[in-house]
Amino acid sequence: MTSLLANFRRWQFWLTLIGLIALVIYPNVASSYLISLLTEVFVFAIFAMSLDLLLGYSGLSSFGHAAFFGLGGYILGFVARNWTANMFITLPIVLIGSALGALIIGFFALRTSGLSFLMFTLAASQMFFGIAIKWTAVTGGSDGLSGIPRPTIGVGDTVYRFGTGFQFYFVALIFFLIAFWLMRQLVHSPFGRALIGIKSNEARMKALGYNTWRYKMMAFTLAGVFAGLSGYLFAYFNRHVSPETFYWTTSGQVMIMVIIGGAGSLTGPALGAVLVRLLPSYVSSYTERWHAIMGLVFILFVLFAPQGIIGLLKKVGRVSNSPNEP
Amino acid sequence: MPLDILVIQLLNGLVFSLLLFLMAAGLSLILGLMDVVNLAHGGFYLFGGYIGLTMIRWFGSFWLALLIAPLVAGALGLLLQVWFLRRLQSRHLDQVLFTFGLALIAADMLRWYWGAYVESVPPPPELDGSVLIMGRQFPVYRLSLIFFGAIVGVALMVLLDYTRIGAIVRAGVSDSELVSGLGINIDWVFVGVFVLGTALAALAGVAAGPITNLYPGLDFEILILALVVVVIGGLGTLRGALLGSILVGMTETLGKAFIPEFSLFVIFALMALVLLVRPRGLLGQKEA
Amino acid sequence: MYFESVGNTAGGRKIELVTDDEGEKPDEALKKARKMVEQDQVDLVAGIVSSGVAAAVRGFFDETQSVLIIANAGANALTRAAKSKYIFRTSFSNWQPNWPMGAWAYENVGKKALISVPDYGAGADMLKAFEFAFKAAGGTVVEKQLTPFPNMGDPAPFITQISNAKVDFVYAFYSGAAATTFVKAYGSFGLAGKLPLVGAGFLVEQDVLPSQGDAALGVKSGLHWALTLDNAVNKKFVDDFKKRTTKEANVFAVQGYDTARLIVDSVNAVQGNTKDKAKWIEAIGGVSFDGPRGKFKMDPKTNNVVQSIYARDVKKVGDTLQNVVVKNFGEIADPGDDSKG
Repeated sequence: MTSLLANFRRWQFWLTLIGLIALVIYPNVASSYLISLLTEVFVFAIFAMSLDLLLGYSGLSSFGHAAFFGLGGYILGFVARNWTANMFITLPIVLIGSALGALIIGFFALRTSGLSFLMFTLAASQMFFGIAIKWTAVTGGSDGLSGIPRPTIGVGDTVYRFGTGFQFYFVALIFFLIAFWLMRQLVHSPFGRALIGIKSNEARMKALGYNTWRYKMMAFTLAGVFAGLSGYLFAYFNRHVSPETFYWTTSGQVMIMVIIGGAGSLTGPALGAVLVRLLPSYVSSYTERWHAIMGLVFILFVLFAPQGIIGLLKKVGRVSNSPNEP
Repeated sequence: MPLDILVIQLLNGLVFSLLLFLMAAGLSLILGLMDVVNLAHGGFYLFGGYIGLTMIRWFGSFWLALLIAPLVAGALGLLLQVWFLRRLQSRHLDQVLFTFGLALIAADMLRWYWGAYVESVPPPPELDGSVLIMGRQFPVYRLSLIFFGAIVGVALMVLLDYTRIGAIVRAGVSDSELVSGLGINIDWVFVGVFVLGTALAALAGVAAGPITNLYPGLDFEILILALVVVVIGGLGTLRGALLGSILVGMTETLGKAFIPEFSLFVIFALMALVLLVRPRGLLGQKEA
Repeated sequence: MYFESVGNTAGGRKIELVTDDEGEKPDEALKKARKMVEQDQVDLVAGIVSSGVAAAVRGFFDETQSVLIIANAGANALTRAAKSKYIFRTSFSNWQPNWPMGAWAYENVGKKALISVPDYGAGADMLKAFEFAFKAAGGTVVEKQLTPFPNMGDPAPFITQISNAKVDFVYAFYSGAAATTFVKAYGSFGLAGKLPLVGAGFLVEQDVLPSQGDAALGVKSGLHWALTLDNAVNKKFVDDFKKRTTKEANVFAVQGYDTARLIVDSVNAVQGNTKDKAKWIEAIGGVSFDGPRGKFKMDPKTNNVVQSIYARDVKKVGDTLQNVVVKNFGEIADPGDDSKG
């Protein structure tokens, strides 16, 4: 069993290394459209992983995660259009803004659980949507904020501008890797293990002396911050942010990513993001019925592979690594 | 605001409340007895409405449509339950996710078959007039919905609380082993509940069709309204759904009348408020 | 349809169509625009139904200097403050069908109005244009009713509030499902026929009119086309459309048809050389022809279409409801700024 695990890890290490090299080479050989596709995947992978912190690790089914995705985008849009697009300034503002938003919503939402929690988070995100449509002076109303300047970094007069899609690809890639690493550390830390404990049996964790409310609050806030980060990148990427980023369909889409990818694994939801963002780009050119196809794929996963893509991969990996195991 | 307008607005609120109850009853039933949030509920509503519309076009009878649409939707519910949902019996979350996938497919299929344009359901000719209420015209069909909603509500409560079938269902929910021990096939109890829930959704689709009209996207609008009602009222209790309907219906209507600009927020604010005070909903006993 | 009528060629080049569903989400539409321009290397993209989508993709087309032809989205800003050399509009600006109705309604319907529109960008554009012209003519707007967008829900409370207003008529802009819901409720609460309903043409356009039934009778509206428009090109277009689709044409089909013609004419004008963008853009700006909606002309100043606006009245012709043209306002060009609402 231990050797099997070691095998699996070594296999994983080489795969990761090869993957990384491929991701660096990729934009040098791919067309600008294909670069933009993958950039988008990085952004949504962060978003999906952030929801996985709630769905997969804390047992909190949020159906309003778009609230923070949109919030990150709108804060960036507002700051970048009115003040500066310098990431040294915009990033902390957006992270703090998303954290505050998540703290406030979480404070109220965490009084509920289960379906009520789901509906409360939905209500919160729909209210953000309403504000985005109505508060035209700040949010641009139903048209959203357009013409967001490209990101820059720098101090004083030395400013570097990420002026092309090629350059922004690397920005997104680096953020993705950092976010992935951070979230991975998080779920493997004592804190993460406590969350998993709360997910499987909250009463027991309470009895063991854990302040479970505080843990869930922390998880909700961190998930909000990472979702805000992805919305922030998405707004830089599109140079536009629209009220639809708050809409429940956005929350629904990211939920599909997590489920199809496999909740509670981080890598799974990232792979889910790949599938959900890439599949329509190819399918929708051939058939108008791609929504139904997406629904069908989703159902097939629920019925036959409830552990998602990652569950399937693990199964395949286990089989190929251990021919002796029954 | 003059008195006559106020009275009409309150009546509007009552009509909308009962409309909401019709929309939410099936959802509440399945949730209460099977512990499954049927996210395809709005899809069944729209499907029922479209079937009803087609029936009206074929046979020219609203009443026949009101009868056939729930049967068709119930039959579909039967197949889905027996073929798929039952396989997921012990996995509640997966059952919910299954209905979510179903909702996505339904939305696309309905748009494909019945088109992207809005369709209206003609109310039955007998009820297609208006009456004067305090000197102002009020559509008869809307008034009759109050009665229709009330009849459906009473019928459901009688069915569940005072009949043998209701007793079996309630017993099956609290202790399925006991019921199985009595020689009753618990699987078929769940099938029955799911079929009834989907048929109710379709019934609402036809009955409310003349008011809401039918168009792609209505399915999710209805789903969210029904969910709000059920969550506010208290999960899965029919009385809760009724109370939730009245609260939401009245608040929404008066909100639109007095603060139209902010009516987008009204029901979500109401839901947030109720959940803060009573996290399990107004009449909810069990943990969500 | 138009492409077929010219044998799918323009300026000696074969027309290749790459189609995709823009969807309703701005970010997905932007992704597809990237695909068409960067992957499929199309010469131009035409379409864009919603203004929200238009706002999202505008920057991309402007920056990559790719030609976009907007065949529906009406946001005034697209050919005003946010106009781009590379973006043309063959449909309408929200201002166009509403502005002429202001003076017309004052003269023909009444002096005091309630305006009811959904609370979002297009609603605000339409409201402003009508209000500006109506006030300039001497009218008073007694009340403005902003209804929730995107879902109006049950319209009964709004209709009841309207019935209480002391006005001569109601001016409204709704489209799609909301138009049917609104007009039908307006009828079932007994307002139809008593309190005149006037609006932007989408309120009773062919896509929603059949579902509205008699409640729509007598609704007056302004638009850049009508099914019954009496000109040879329109008659042929309406006939051909019906033969192909078995359905009646609507304004959206007209916009698509004219867009195709604009593309063919402009490509013909540069003998198929779309690589010389400056020349081609000039050619697009110079397009002018007689289409189903009458004279169709691009305005090189705003890149918006100059077209006739018609006042229409819903009447029963035989068994069906029809928008009958009651007045032709002549050619209306968007002012290109916010000076007239």
